[in-house]
Amino acid sequence: MDNVILKVSNLKTYFFTRRGIVKAVDGVDFQLRRGECLCLVGESGCGKTVTALSILRLFDSPPGKIVDGQISYNSLDLAECSSKQLRQIRGKDIAIVFQEAQSALNPVLTIGDQIIEQIKLHLPLDYGKARDRTMTLLNEMGIPSAEGVMSYYPHQLSGGMKQRVLIAMSLSCNPQILIADEPTTAVDVTIKAQILDIFRELKARRQMSTIFITHDLAVVAEIGDRAVVMYGGKDVETAPVSEIISNPKHPYTSGLIECLPDVSKTADRLASIPGTTPNPLEMPQGCAFHPRCPKAMKICKQQEPPEIIISKEHKVSCHLYT
Amino acid sequence: MTERLRDIVRRTSQHLRSNARLVNYYWQRTQRNKLAVFGLAFIIFLILLALIGPLFTLDPTAVNFEEKNMPPVGFTIEQSIYNIKTNEFTTKEIPGTWKHPLGTDSKGRDMLAMIVSGARVSLQVGLIATGIAIILGTIIGVLSAYLGGWADNALMRFTDVMMTFPFFLLLVLIVFIFGPSLVFIVLAIGLTGWTGIARLIRSEALSLRTREFVIAAKALGASDNRVIFRHLIPNVISLIIIIATLSIPGVILAEAALSFIGLGDPTVSSWGIILEAGQTSLNTAWWVAVEPGIMLFLTVLAFNFLGDGLRDAFDPKSNI
Amino acid sequence: MGKSWLRDYIIKRLIYSVIIAWGILTITFVLVRVGPSSPADKYLANLAARGQDPAQVTAAIEARYGLDKPILVQYADYVANLFRGNLGWSFSTSMPVIELIKTHWIYSFQLILLSSLFAAFLGILIGIYSAVKQYTKVDYAFTFFSFIGISIPNFWLGIMLILIFSVRLGLFKTYYDTTLPLFSLDNLKALVLPVITLGTGMLAGYVRYTRSAMLDNLRKAFVTTARAKGLPERTVIGKHVFRNALLPLVTIIMFDLGSIVFGGAYLTEIIFGIPGLGQISFNAIFANDYPVVVAVTIIGTFLVLLINLMTDITYTYLDPRIRYD
Repeated sequence: MDNVILKVSNLKTYFFTRRGIVKAVDGVDFQLRRGECLCLVGESGCGKTVTALSILRLFDSPPGKIVDGQISYNSLDLAECSSKQLRQIRGKDIAIVFQEAQSALNPVLTIGDQIIEQIKLHLPLDYGKARDRTMTLLNEMGIPSAEGVMSYYPHQLSGGMKQRVLIAMSLSCNPQILIADEPTTAVDVTIKAQILDIFRELKARRQMSTIFITHDLAVVAEIGDRAVVMYGGKDVETAPVSEIISNPKHPYTSGLIECLPDVSKTADRLASIPGTTPNPLEMPQGCAFHPRCPKAMKICKQQEPPEIIISKEHKVSCHLYT
Repeated sequence: MTERLRDIVRRTSQHLRSNARLVNYYWQRTQRNKLAVFGLAFIIFLILLALIGPLFTLDPTAVNFEEKNMPPVGFTIEQSIYNIKTNEFTTKEIPGTWKHPLGTDSKGRDMLAMIVSGARVSLQVGLIATGIAIILGTIIGVLSAYLGGWADNALMRFTDVMMTFPFFLLLVLIVFIFGPSLVFIVLAIGLTGWTGIARLIRSEALSLRTREFVIAAKALGASDNRVIFRHLIPNVISLIIIIATLSIPGVILAEAALSFIGLGDPTVSSWGIILEAGQTSLNTAWWVAVEPGIMLFLTVLAFNFLGDGLRDAFDPKSNI
Repeated sequence: MGKSWLRDYIIKRLIYSVIIAWGILTITFVLVRVGPSSPADKYLANLAARGQDPAQVTAAIEARYGLDKPILVQYADYVANLFRGNLGWSFSTSMPVIELIKTHWIYSFQLILLSSLFAAFLGILIGIYSAVKQYTKVDYAFTFFSFIGISIPNFWLGIMLILIFSVRLGLFKTYYDTTLPLFSLDNLKALVLPVITLGTGMLAGYVRYTRSAMLDNLRKAFVTTARAKGLPERTVIGKHVFRNALLPLVTIIMFDLGSIVFGGAYLTEIIFGIPGLGQISFNAIFANDYPVVVAVTIIGTFLVLLINLMTDITYTYLDPRIRYD
């Protein structure tokens, strides 16, 4: 597959804290193909955000560290490359959008300042051209009166506008890859729809390769091409979205799908997966999901499940399929 | 009647038992801060010193010109003594002796005795003045938050005015006007230092009223009483303890500073007064200036360490 | 919007400050009158020391100072006088208090200014460094030293410095020479120890405040965003984090100026013999010259009021969140 633009192999990011080692990402493999929207799905705490941060080494460095694995981009290994090389890629080749637009923007600088700063950092444009470019971007994002907005401060904008500004900022230097960390989680439903529209457009018009992180399978169904389901710091199932929804192999994935409320049916209770996400300091032995798995077998407590190839595009890590 | 009493006793003991767990939890967290533990140890040492020290030391007021300006144990100093008969200066080497382990001052008073007696003064002033400031500050703060509206406004403006006065200048003015007796000094410090406390308590009380856990408790059916006792007060108490611990050093220093510039109570041998005497004999008897200063410094340091450690222990966001 | 809002706010704060100023004057007045000895007594003690007849003098004083008038009239006179700049007459130096102030304020000003600059400059730099290198040995060392700095009684520090550097090492003179021009090298040299004395406590405080303000902001989301943009670390810290830390820092520093610095300056002047306002107040106390003491207190307090007002306005202007509400 030579249209793979980013390849993550056996990534392990651990956090060495006073209370112990948190294995936030413990052996994750996936590939991002050119022009596709790859979704990282899972409950909070499964390691999807840390995975995204690891790609650009943005986690707090003590205590976090990439202990193993490779992140191949453009013949560079992002896990090992120098800070200088990394800084050239951040914001220019690979950009990331965070979830809480509220706090992700610097409250004491104007919107214009913040975006122009990035443009001038990576592109050889003078201030005037950078400014024009910013205005065009903001317009593209559907922000009215872009000129005025540029001199606004973050707190003067609504939640939805802030999120758009963040996305605009991340696109300012035309990155090849956009990583979006739960951009629709902290917003209300109408804005959520607008943001999803933006992402759809990005894919259509710019053929943007996106890694979209979310815990909401409904969102995955709407805009994802392929999905990587994560649990306990590992990837447990990878498949095209249509396949995941119609033919989930991993019990966790099936559980997630069942949790989606179906408005057409009447039900007394909302379905949920019993139990809670494991404490990262005390991961269960064997398969991390076994305490909550309806299909757990004896071997699940003892051994970690191997990766099984179901089909060309579908792989799963579960003892059920050995 | 007895029913109610029994009920109150039962509730209080339940209260204390569940709070004992809480107290233990906070103590565990404080313990992990080595500096805070040192601070506490020093303070306990100081208290013991103040309480039983005087029993073991010489009389701090005993003047003895034969033994004036003796250095502490382990040091020797040259003194030139003027002999009236021969009209000349002879230099003698005076070593420190164990009789006066910390030396003597220019009037032959034993330094150790004076320092111990000074500890008593500083602790008394520290505790009482801080107590006054806290009680006053808490009353004003709580009243202000509780009454709200016009009364709140008036009280806060008054607090603002008092806060604008530079603490030490106001203190000097008051002691100047009312006279430098220890009682007045303690009162003056207490009556001028409550402003910060009032502010903090008021803002805490106000914020507690609308905090989510209070609303949640009420939503679950808790009565006002229960809300106040189980939720509001424990939060404010920890704040008060921390404020108290961190205010005491300022108070002790204020009294020492006043004594140092001559506005202290001359009938009492506080560390500040010793320091004042030391200032004039820097050449001949440097220990008179160094010793009380070290004690002041260590005392303030100890309270600061402890206060800081307590503050970290009580802050749920700090990861101790 | 924008500008007129700021103007309204300033006006509001000015009115508020006037109210506080009135409160300050009233409390000072009450204190003086409520004291066990009336101002006349103080003056009497003064005169008695010079051998004059008390009874005669009492009557003369009461007439002159209007102490025979009802208290409210006295109060009104007091306030009016202050407005006119009449701060009373200094018994011990035989000149109007205002003249005394005019000749001596510059020394206090110089001391406080130099100490503040020293403390702020060093303190902020160390604080930033300490915050960025949190949990390292350097951070622990700086934190420890800042504890020491705020715990050391500043008057004792002054004496110790004199002991070591003037008495033992002879590097500095032990008295302050007022004949030297203010900005001469010799004069500044004489100010080294006093500035260190006054500045150390402030320095330690600034290190702690800066460190704390920086730490508050270092873990915020916008910092990660800044890094994600590809900015070099020094820009992230120096521009993004520091600008946010600056806001509360400015406030704390300026409020601190009022409560602690003036007291510290008072003591420092006395120890080093610097003839500033603290020194003349001190001299006045022992000469029972109450108008001077009261005047210095009032001036100090009004300065704090002024500083608070300026800080408030500056902060409001600097923080965009408040500006455009």
